[in-house]
Amino acid sequence: MPADKVTLKIPRPLYDNLKQSIQGTGFSSVNEFVVYVLRDLTSGLKPKGRPSRATRPVPAALDARDARDSSGLTQAEIEIIRKRLHDLGYI
Amino acid sequence: MVIGLDCAEPSLAFDRFAGVMPNLRRLRKRGVWGPLRSTIPPITVPAWTCMVSGSDPGELGIYGFRNRKSYATYEMDFATSKSVRVPRLWDILGDAGRTSTVLFVPQTYPAAASLKGSMVTCFLTPGPESEWARPPELKATLEAAFGPYIVDVPDFRTDDKQRLLQSVYAMSRQHFAMARHMLSREDWDFFMMVDMGTDRLHHGFWKYFNPDHRQYVPGNPLEHAGREYYAYLDREIGTLLEYADPDTAVVVVSDHGARTMQGGICVNEWLLQHGYLALRTVPDRPTPFKKLEIDWSKTKAWGEGGYYARVFLNVQGRDPQGIIPPDQVDTECRALQAMLEAIPDENGKPIGTVAYRPADIYPVVHGTPPDLIVLFGNLAWRSVGSVGHGRVHTFENDTGPDDANHAWDGILVAAGPGIPAHGRLEGAEVRDVARTVLQLLDVPPPATMGGRSILDRVAGDAAGGRRDPET
Repeated sequence: MPADKVTLKIPRPLYDNLKQSIQGTGFSSVNEFVVYVLRDLTSGLKPKGRPSRATRPVPAALDARDARDSSGLTQAEIEIIRKRLHDLGYI
Repeated sequence: MVIGLDCAEPSLAFDRFAGVMPNLRRLRKRGVWGPLRSTIPPITVPAWTCMVSGSDPGELGIYGFRNRKSYATYEMDFATSKSVRVPRLWDILGDAGRTSTVLFVPQTYPAAASLKGSMVTCFLTPGPESEWARPPELKATLEAAFGPYIVDVPDFRTDDKQRLLQSVYAMSRQHFAMARHMLSREDWDFFMMVDMGTDRLHHGFWKYFNPDHRQYVPGNPLEHAGREYYAYLDREIGTLLEYADPDTAVVVVSDHGARTMQGGICVNEWLLQHGYLALRTVPDRPTPFKKLEIDWSKTKAWGEGGYYARVFLNVQGRDPQGIIPPDQVDTECRALQAMLEAIPDENGKPIGTVAYRPADIYPVVHGTPPDLIVLFGNLAWRSVGSVGHGRVHTFENDTGPDDANHAWDGILVAAGPGIPAHGRLEGAEVRDVARTVLQLLDVPPPATMGGRSILDRVAGDAAGGRRDPET
């Protein structure tokens, strides 16, 4: 029976950056944060066969992970604030 | 000096817990005090920004924490400081050459580089690693003195209430300590801080100290959590007052109050049941709105959860897949408004819901307003946005139990030079605070600034012969 969890590898600098970013946010680990973001990003996606690497679309939010939108927030920051406000009952 | 206590409730600060608040009592006796009517909706964002700008939500175009960027998308954006297009007190004062110290005031992240003075941004700061201080070097100074910035209470949805209470205190203690640090080291003409602990205490602990909550248990171990926190707040206020010299006016305010939450109305579940919302698949368990498979081609209306509901119609030519013809919008909106206001409680009894159309309540309506702002049970019930509950009424919100909702009135206490010992004042509003501060500092308000100075209200009150004793 296959294990119910798998290991993903991400660059160390990104991991370190995320580890810093989630301090005091309610996420207890980088793992928990990454799972939350990936679930959120992929919740509306449906498999359509596997496109080639050259044509495989990059989710806009990932592509723009470090870009700030008109609110002055990055996608990662938006997810952190969304979770906080949801936990607080505001949204 | 403005001391903000998010969600501080007048019936507690002025009556029930007044006995453990000697510093606030002394201020009341020296000056003016009373309820401070919040904005519509009465919620942290936009209420604090209305307070420091004199604008109403329609002028700001900010109707909650999240707002639609335009009707061209169903997606919502967060309202950060960049969403605020009107000058706030520190902008106006800066233009007049005055220096401000602004701490933890909601909707101040990201901080503007143009600030004349110092700032620590609010609980909407992503985290302690963010650029939360102005000038930037202030961050290292405060971290060295107080450790990592506690942006907000972590893990708010927990059953470990003792730990949560400790977290609320930890946050507030750090913020008041930072405030004292800034008061003692900075030159300021205008100082303002906002404590969020009061709000977190109410939402997390209201049922333990309010007998009208359906889950209140007499003699529970947290029965005194409310009284003790208000007493703690008063001691903190006392320490700040030591920095207010005889020339300094002091204003203590909250953006809204708090009241017992009876439960939640599942607004999208109701819209689904009444044919306004269409789903391709109806979930069999509570599912967030953004994860629903919505059939927009058959959807006439949808709503947002929170302490109040915002309901949007799906209008042809306005919304991406709108279906309501423009000439039927008014009829549809009024019909839906009446139906939402008629939703009863779980036993069929009326709950007194009020639903507002933005154009009816704001002189101007900027941004992308909802078609209806709905306060279920006039704030006794919250709005639950998820679908899959199988019923309209719920006694848990999307993420777990919640004890309190917001109430219409916050608190106002003002004392010091230029403020008469007037006693109780009725009729003050959140957005009066901006004009009051400018008048106290003898800085002319912008021509477009709304509200009315508290001092003018007091003068009108006194001229009319109304004057009540302190308590």
